Amino acid sequence: MHISEGVLSAPVLITGAALTAAGLAVGLRKMDNEDIPRVAVLTSAFFVASLIRIPLGPSSVHLVLNGLLGLVLGWAAFPAILVGLTLQALIFQFGGLTTLGVNTFIMAAPAILCYYLFARGINQRHSGAAMALAFGCGFLSVLISALIVATSLIFTGESFLEAAKLIVLAHLPVMVLEGFVAAFCLAFIMKVKPELLGATHAAG
Amino acid sequence: MQQGNKRFFPQKVALAIFVSFLLTLSLMVTRVSAHKVNVFAWVEGDTVFVEGYYSGNKKAQNSLVEVFDKAGAKLLEGKTNEKGEFSFKPPEKTELRIVLTAGAGHKNDFVISANDFGEVETPSAGLPSKPQEDRTYPATITAEPHQLEEMIDRALDRKLAPVIRLIRETRREGPTLSEIVGGIGYIFRLFGVAIYFSNRKKGTGRKAQGARNKEKGGTNG
Repeated sequence: MHISEGVLSAPVLITGAALTAAGLAVGLRKMDNEDIPRVAVLTSAFFVASLIRIPLGPSSVHLVLNGLLGLVLGWAAFPAILVGLTLQALIFQFGGLTTLGVNTFIMAAPAILCYYLFARGINQRHSGAAMALAFGCGFLSVLISALIVATSLIFTGESFLEAAKLIVLAHLPVMVLEGFVAAFCLAFIMKVKPELLGATHAAG
Repeated sequence: MQQGNKRFFPQKVALAIFVSFLLTLSLMVTRVSAHKVNVFAWVEGDTVFVEGYYSGNKKAQNSLVEVFDKAGAKLLEGKTNEKGEFSFKPPEKTELRIVLTAGAGHKNDFVISANDFGEVETPSAGLPSKPQEDRTYPATITAEPHQLEEMIDRALDRKLAPVIRLIRETRREGPTLSEIVGGIGYIFRLFGVAIYFSNRKKGTGRKAQGARNKEKGGTNG
């Protein structure tokens, strides 16, 4: 998911940065004082998730958690993911500073989409159905991220279908894993701290 | 509205399940997934070895390797083998920039400086190319300066090989725990500062609200 520096051309980088700036503006405006601790917690969850590799078959994968971020934070996922990626770029050289805009958009846009698709439904449901929805949320967010990566790579000469196939294939285990993680996180939050979900949804 | 939602959402679930089933069925093979590709190159004799690997020590197989000279002109290109390795004999012993492109947005480079090649001017001109075991040196070595230099180079290559291997292995280690914990610390500090400023901004307009939040922050910290 982290596109390296020097792969994308300037127009793609600028478009990504502009879209991220717009999302960031909305996210910061919707963010209330009381939301900040929650955003901080989920930002650190996002930051750590990309660093922990889970061995799976011949390779290893890492979680993205953008679906969960979207579900809990709504538009505040934009500032959260931007902060997480900035620190990953600075400390671990994942991605890079010039690709920060594009990478943020790649992971935050599906989060927002999932928020609108699933969050309201989850709020009105009992735990079983809500967990199923959360699974879909986690699964779909990584899938859409992969498709956005493929789209941004079109301009580097890689054909969309080829790139999309490769990236979606690579992330298929992540999608399933992500779905389960989102589902169980949600079940946990609903049981232990349901107000985590409530506030942003009322505001957004 | 609630009625509409209740009818609407089961359809989305069904769609999501359908899409996931379709994908699982149609795409069975998984490829190496990672978020950063690294490239490392070193010189042994007159050959440059290139190695590409992802975080977590996964080989970057079948990746494009391009070699550029100091001015940026492309000298040669090739692909890594199934061990993620590629080797070439550089046409000239100058500074080389080796760029590895692994697809799916992964790319990195490595620079070999001219010093890495040593200063061998006439390679293996008059040196006996016998295997190392039965190579015997007389008590007093009489060798041309360039022969001597080449002998030393060769010995150094041999002696330094484990060190180079060690460096290669150290470089591919993932993030350490202290870096991760440090990162989390940065995040909380940053949001702490955000709370401070947003409280100050709102303090004049909504005094009661600001005071309440400050109290909250005070008891937590």
